[in-house]
Amino acid sequence: MTEQHLPPGLIGARVRRKEDPRLLTGRAQFVDDVALPGMLEAAILRSPHAHARIVSVDVSAALELPGVFAVITGAEVAQACALPQPVIWRLIPDQRMTDLYALAHDKVRYVGQGVAAVAAADRYVAEDALGLIEVEYEQLPAACTLDEALADGAPLLYENWPDNVSCRQTVPKGDVATAFAAADVIVSETITYGRQMGTPLETRGAVVSWDPFTDRLEAWLSTQSPNLARDLLGEVLGLPVERIRVRTPDVGGGFGNKFDFYGEEVVAALLSKRSGRPVKIIEDRLESFVANAHSREQRIEVEVAAKSDGTITGMRGTVYGVLGGQLSTVGIGPCWAATVLMPGPYDIPNVEVTVVGVVTNRSPYGSYRGWGQPKANIAHERIVEKLARELGMAANDVRRKNLIAPDKFPYPSPVFYYDSGRYEECLEAAERAVVDRGWAKRQAEAAKEGRSLGIGYSFHIEISAIGPSRILNQAGLQHSGFDEESVRIDSTGGVIVRSGLSAMGQGIQTALAQVAAQTLGVPLDSVTVLTGDTETNPYTGYGTGGSRGAALGGGALLRASTRLREKVLRVAAELLEASPDDLVISDGRISVAGTGVGGRSVSMRDVGDATYRRLDGKLPLGETPTLEERDVLDPDNTAFSYGTTAVLAEVDRETGRVQVLDYLIAHDCGTVINPMIVDGQLHGGAAQAIGGALFEEIVYGPDGQPLTTTFMDYLIPTASELPAFETVHLTTTADHIPGGFKGMGEAGTIGGASAITAAIDDALRDLGVGVVQLPITPPRLLSMIEAAEAGGTATDVEEQS
Amino acid sequence: MKPAPLDYIRATSVAHAVQVLAENDGDGKVLAGGQSLVPLLAMRLSQPTVLVDLGGLGELSYIRDESGHVEIGAMVRARTVEISSLIADAVPLLPVALRHVGHVTIRNRGTVGGSTAHADPAAELPAVLRALDADVVVTGPSGSRTIGAADFFQGFLTTALAPDEIVTALRVPKSAPGTRVAVQEFARRHGDFAIVAVFAAVELGASGEIAAARIAVAGADQVPVRAAAAEELLAGQDPSPAVLRAAAAEVAGATRPFDDIHGTADYRKKITAVLARRCLEQALPTAERSSAA
Repeated sequence: MTEQHLPPGLIGARVRRKEDPRLLTGRAQFVDDVALPGMLEAAILRSPHAHARIVSVDVSAALELPGVFAVITGAEVAQACALPQPVIWRLIPDQRMTDLYALAHDKVRYVGQGVAAVAAADRYVAEDALGLIEVEYEQLPAACTLDEALADGAPLLYENWPDNVSCRQTVPKGDVATAFAAADVIVSETITYGRQMGTPLETRGAVVSWDPFTDRLEAWLSTQSPNLARDLLGEVLGLPVERIRVRTPDVGGGFGNKFDFYGEEVVAALLSKRSGRPVKIIEDRLESFVANAHSREQRIEVEVAAKSDGTITGMRGTVYGVLGGQLSTVGIGPCWAATVLMPGPYDIPNVEVTVVGVVTNRSPYGSYRGWGQPKANIAHERIVEKLARELGMAANDVRRKNLIAPDKFPYPSPVFYYDSGRYEECLEAAERAVVDRGWAKRQAEAAKEGRSLGIGYSFHIEISAIGPSRILNQAGLQHSGFDEESVRIDSTGGVIVRSGLSAMGQGIQTALAQVAAQTLGVPLDSVTVLTGDTETNPYTGYGTGGSRGAALGGGALLRASTRLREKVLRVAAELLEASPDDLVISDGRISVAGTGVGGRSVSMRDVGDATYRRLDGKLPLGETPTLEERDVLDPDNTAFSYGTTAVLAEVDRETGRVQVLDYLIAHDCGTVINPMIVDGQLHGGAAQAIGGALFEEIVYGPDGQPLTTTFMDYLIPTASELPAFETVHLTTTADHIPGGFKGMGEAGTIGGASAITAAIDDALRDLGVGVVQLPITPPRLLSMIEAAEAGGTATDVEEQS
Repeated sequence: MKPAPLDYIRATSVAHAVQVLAENDGDGKVLAGGQSLVPLLAMRLSQPTVLVDLGGLGELSYIRDESGHVEIGAMVRARTVEISSLIADAVPLLPVALRHVGHVTIRNRGTVGGSTAHADPAAELPAVLRALDADVVVTGPSGSRTIGAADFFQGFLTTALAPDEIVTALRVPKSAPGTRVAVQEFARRHGDFAIVAVFAAVELGASGEIAAARIAVAGADQVPVRAAAAEELLAGQDPSPAVLRAAAAEVAGATRPFDDIHGTADYRKKITAVLARRCLEQALPTAERSSAA
């Protein structure tokens, strides 16, 4: 593509992703491709019970099986570790922590919790050996649902706690009581969001080699947060981090699941130490449904006080986070995010939302793309829709009435300052696009055929560029949020960018290359971006999560590249006997401005040679050799992206099936580095939102047995279930981030379910159906339709059908 | 997800396969496409001592035009049946139904014998065999026998097949010329197992009345269900909306559905009636459809 060689313009150019030829031709290297001499393969024995006391574990028969090299039990793991599995988000000071180790030793608290592990010649033998481990359990009554866990006399997951509540915190702003007392209208809703999870194509995996002689630990992890994993391995294993090297090969999808730090990493390390050999643990798909972080499951109570003109004056709510049997790495984090972001894009002066974290005998609740925000969104968007119905207003008019005005930024929400935005313009851009696409006409024509189409909107905000380290630390994060990037020009003018971010299919290598190439004035092809090794690459604070890679990595790299460009110009000025101020760089050549094509110029290669090899008479006196800069960006604030989602959907009133016919997102993430990547991120997130709204649910039986442990039962949408996606872009820069970038990696997941539920309500508006449970499966929707029809409008429906 | 230890034997003939099964006293499993069996093995839900692979048996891979019926060898792939012109002419319901089996890649591997022997009540092929009164030819140590589809499917994943017998062929009666067919399948996603699917083959009389109808349902019982009462109700009737509604209710009445995570028994029963009506509307002339919805 020609624009690849045409800076300015690389930032903002729709260039093809540098990663794709390798990924698409099977040349990528994933963690399961790592094969070391003498490597063993491990498997984990998992609890078949939701809640039980471990009476005894007998591994003797497993140890005798030929091909078995090491077996480890939960008790041995606890003994070998310096600390239990860490929780880095400690947002609520008096939260009760679960403090469990990588394998269970006293009790099991969910089906799938690890109890013992085997390292063997291969995975077949390891699984055979699991069958030889005798575990005696004393089954205990389980608390498998939120209601069971909160009931009087509920079985206690942690017997030293008074109940199953891990934490409770109220986040206030303004005076809610007065707002509700003075309200013209109050509407309330209770929303049930089902349990779901990210399902990366590549399941989690670890290869760990802990050399017993040097006490050095080398790990290959499929992780989004290599530096965090390295620090946590050090803490848990009691090992100085300089002896730990974490390498991250290509990551086949992360989706937040791989942000978290899991027990398998620790188990692989301990098995390696025991056996003296490298140990590989690859989570199989069956395991992934119990051992991978679950997410989303919340019950949300929300109510708003409003004036009769639709102005919202107050919001109250409670988020019940249905945590699992132990806290994950991110603890209450996602549920807390749902709580503090519940007012969303609306200018509500008085807010009071409470988060209640409840442990249950289910798999742990961890990270999944969106991280609480889809639930905050469904709360504020469902309640806005309901308020509109109550007042007889169009929902978008209620939105318009309450969206934060451009001149109110930075806007103080209950916790965060939203940095910038033109929310109303974004809503209107979506409304115009919907008109252009003729949805209303399609809806009317379908109605003539007896078909029920609906149009739904939602407005979302997304916290990104996480984030300011000290502020996050004050909030309780036990980690930083800055990003460090380095950029080096070699002796021939080639550019190497080193990043601590993980390449997990999102295109970060291309995005960073675009930033470096444009800033330095070199062709995109001359830039190589290296990721995936804590020993040779910079430190990234949080990890590749929180929609921060492009914004913070891009911003840090922009600053580093800018300084490097200045040095290039100084060296070139010496070579050209000109002033650096008179020079321009284009396509890798530095020339005197205004001298035209035939003017004097030098190449980046000449500058490289003058800086690394033949310095005398070329490198200005006082300049150090080499061309390298690094930068650390610890932003003053997070950055808030936002968007409007619009959905056209059809409801089959006889079966309850919903089909998404068309899907549109108007979006603003500040300066766009690569519109194709941004669109792809929006599309992928929207696909996950459709999954979450209509298909995906982790279902447990009454005894706490998970019933969805294959892709035959946990239904992710496929190409057949997805519409084409349309995107419209606005650009409002984040002025506190170099380059003006905002993150947007989670955007698509946030507002999708809200727009889909609004479209369903619209398709069934004659029945007054209001969806409050997700996912909205065909049986659930059919029973809502039947209940509404039984409520007195059955005749109308009969005529329609 | 690795299979437990097992012996693998690639059968050299039907007799060889049967002999291995007989020697293993019911602990053998037959590999005939593997689209259902291999996941069961990987999850160790099935732990046979020996796996008998029929993949090399060319003798079971044929489609033959016989008088009155078509005979399909057990190792014929679903996709082969789906695109066979002989089948399209003689048994038009079959290709329409098989299009709903998984995805093309699954149909390229899965065999008709494998699907029949596996007897998943939500599978398409067993329901078609039931609708069309097909026979299942099975071979054991003492030779071959023929079992009617009505008797072959006995329960959830349970058939009349003895542990040392294998399915060797299907005999599917030819449909009358001009038979109109339709399938209405409700699955959560394209390619999923049906929650409920209804299959219909209808012959029209000279004046447009329904001469005969064959209707079967998958996914709404432990076995594929034949809707005999609905067929009787339709025979000789003009396909009016009222008749089709009444027949659809009879189809639902013939089922004894079950609960699972994708739908309750009650839900299955309700959508069986909806799908049956839509299936009949689809099978019958267009003019009748517009007034029917």
